[in-house]
Amino acid sequence: MEVLKVEGLLKQFGGIKAVNKVSFSVEAGEHLAIIGPNGAGKTTLFNLINGQLSVTEGRIHFYGKDITNLSTHQRVHLGQARAFQIISLWQKLTVIDNAMLTLHGTKPHRFKMLRPTKDFKEVFNQAMETLRTLNLWEKRDEPVKNLAYGEKRRLEIGLSLAMQPKLLLLDEPSAGLSKGEGSDVIALIKNLKSDITALMVDHDMDMIFEVAERIIVLHYGQIISDGTPEMIQHNQKVREIYMGIEH
Amino acid sequence: MNVVPYVIGILILLIVPLFLSTYWIGLVTRFLIFALFAMSYNIVFGYTGLLSLGHAAFFGTGGYVIALLHLHYNVNLFWISLPLGVLVPTFTAALFGLIALRVSGIYFLLVTFALGEMLYSLAWNVKWLNSRGMQGITGITLPDLAIPGFTMDRTWYYYLVWIFFITSCILLNRLVRSPFGTALVGIREDESRMKAVGYNTWLYKYLAFVISGAFAGIAGMLFSYYNYFVSPKHLGISTSFLPMVMAIMGGLGTFLGPVIGALVFIFVENFASIFFPQRWPLMLGGLFVVIIMFAREGIGVYLWRILKKVERRFGSIKS
Repeated sequence: MEVLKVEGLLKQFGGIKAVNKVSFSVEAGEHLAIIGPNGAGKTTLFNLINGQLSVTEGRIHFYGKDITNLSTHQRVHLGQARAFQIISLWQKLTVIDNAMLTLHGTKPHRFKMLRPTKDFKEVFNQAMETLRTLNLWEKRDEPVKNLAYGEKRRLEIGLSLAMQPKLLLLDEPSAGLSKGEGSDVIALIKNLKSDITALMVDHDMDMIFEVAERIIVLHYGQIISDGTPEMIQHNQKVREIYMGIEH
Repeated sequence: MNVVPYVIGILILLIVPLFLSTYWIGLVTRFLIFALFAMSYNIVFGYTGLLSLGHAAFFGTGGYVIALLHLHYNVNLFWISLPLGVLVPTFTAALFGLIALRVSGIYFLLVTFALGEMLYSLAWNVKWLNSRGMQGITGITLPDLAIPGFTMDRTWYYYLVWIFFITSCILLNRLVRSPFGTALVGIREDESRMKAVGYNTWLYKYLAFVISGAFAGIAGMLFSYYNYFVSPKHLGISTSFLPMVMAIMGGLGTFLGPVIGALVFIFVENFASIFFPQRWPLMLGGLFVVIIMFAREGIGVYLWRILKKVERRFGSIKS
């Protein structure tokens, strides 16, 4: 089943085509990585898929539904979740508040006005469980800004997983992490349930080759290669422009 | 939540008229009205992070509804004035919110300011909105509750305001602790993340704006009875400025901060106007600077910290 289908996607900033006529589709359960040098348009592509930016041209389909003109929060309700490249957690709020607020976003009672947030036991228990698995329960009353960088990353990715998305968008999940912390993230992605489709962008090739089943290479906003990690590794054009290795 | 301090506060406000002269009762009434106004403003600015400069538009509208009913239709029955006094400002906020929330940041501030000033000049220029031969509407009397054998006086009016104040406090307190209120804080802290986890942030801001406008309208309604008089300035910037100063002085985004801000403001204003009537703006300026320098998060937060420190040093005084 096709989870995501992108057709002729174009995003123009003034005269620059950041994403230039990109078309691809993602199957359910697939772990797809998008790589490419800086400025290749990876984050822009993510912003178009998740709705932070509007497209100049082209269509986006999500489970067969045209979502091109939907806003971000509507796409989230259809089952998208995103972990950002730059930590997007609410820095001044506590860890538990971050978890509760994130989990409430897709719940029908998020508009309730007269019942205290903490009375929604089901969400609270889910938050508790999530924080326990992330090993952050002990720090639940700390403001997020007091956490170490690796902990913030773990929380951000963990929370987007706790939203139980159908499509998970991971924008540089391993950015700024040490080797050990990076392998935590790898384990997290590898252990994704089979019904979660993951789309990720990263610079860490070791990680990409370990978790991705398919790789798309983006260069100046265009797809120059699409295939299994082995195919990408041996693609001469990719080596030249992206990895800079000549043989 | 520890309810003991709240209960004590409510009881003090309940018995305080027994010991005070009419003048002082009037002053405490004024304090409660402005505390409610500042709390309503705090929902928009303190919790949601929307800097509005036109909040008096709703306060003044509430006041004008009461005044116009009195002036043109001779209606003084509270049970007619009350629903209209709440609905008209709410409707105004619903309309202004649609316009102002198309933009954000500094533009939001400018649009709310412009809308408030628009009502100000409307009230200034339209004959129907003024008593004969003057700017504003005068001669408003205390509301008639239509209870046989009961006559409204300033002390009873205090209790009427007290009921509105306490009820609003309870409702607003529930609001800020609900998922809705938590979401407002989330929007203040990072709106784009709120969208990314599934919140329709525009709708939250809009609802917060309208709810806040409704409570400001109640405050304005109560004010016009208290003041016997409404004037165009109650719709404009000089009045919009008041809840902002009170909320900032007391503690933005804290529940009781605006109440403490209003307390300090109203009582200092009163003393100043008795002893140095010309110097009040200067004193307000000075007070504001001192608070910003030494208790930037607000007097309320500052006092709370001191209380916590005392508690830690001497052990818990009372639970």
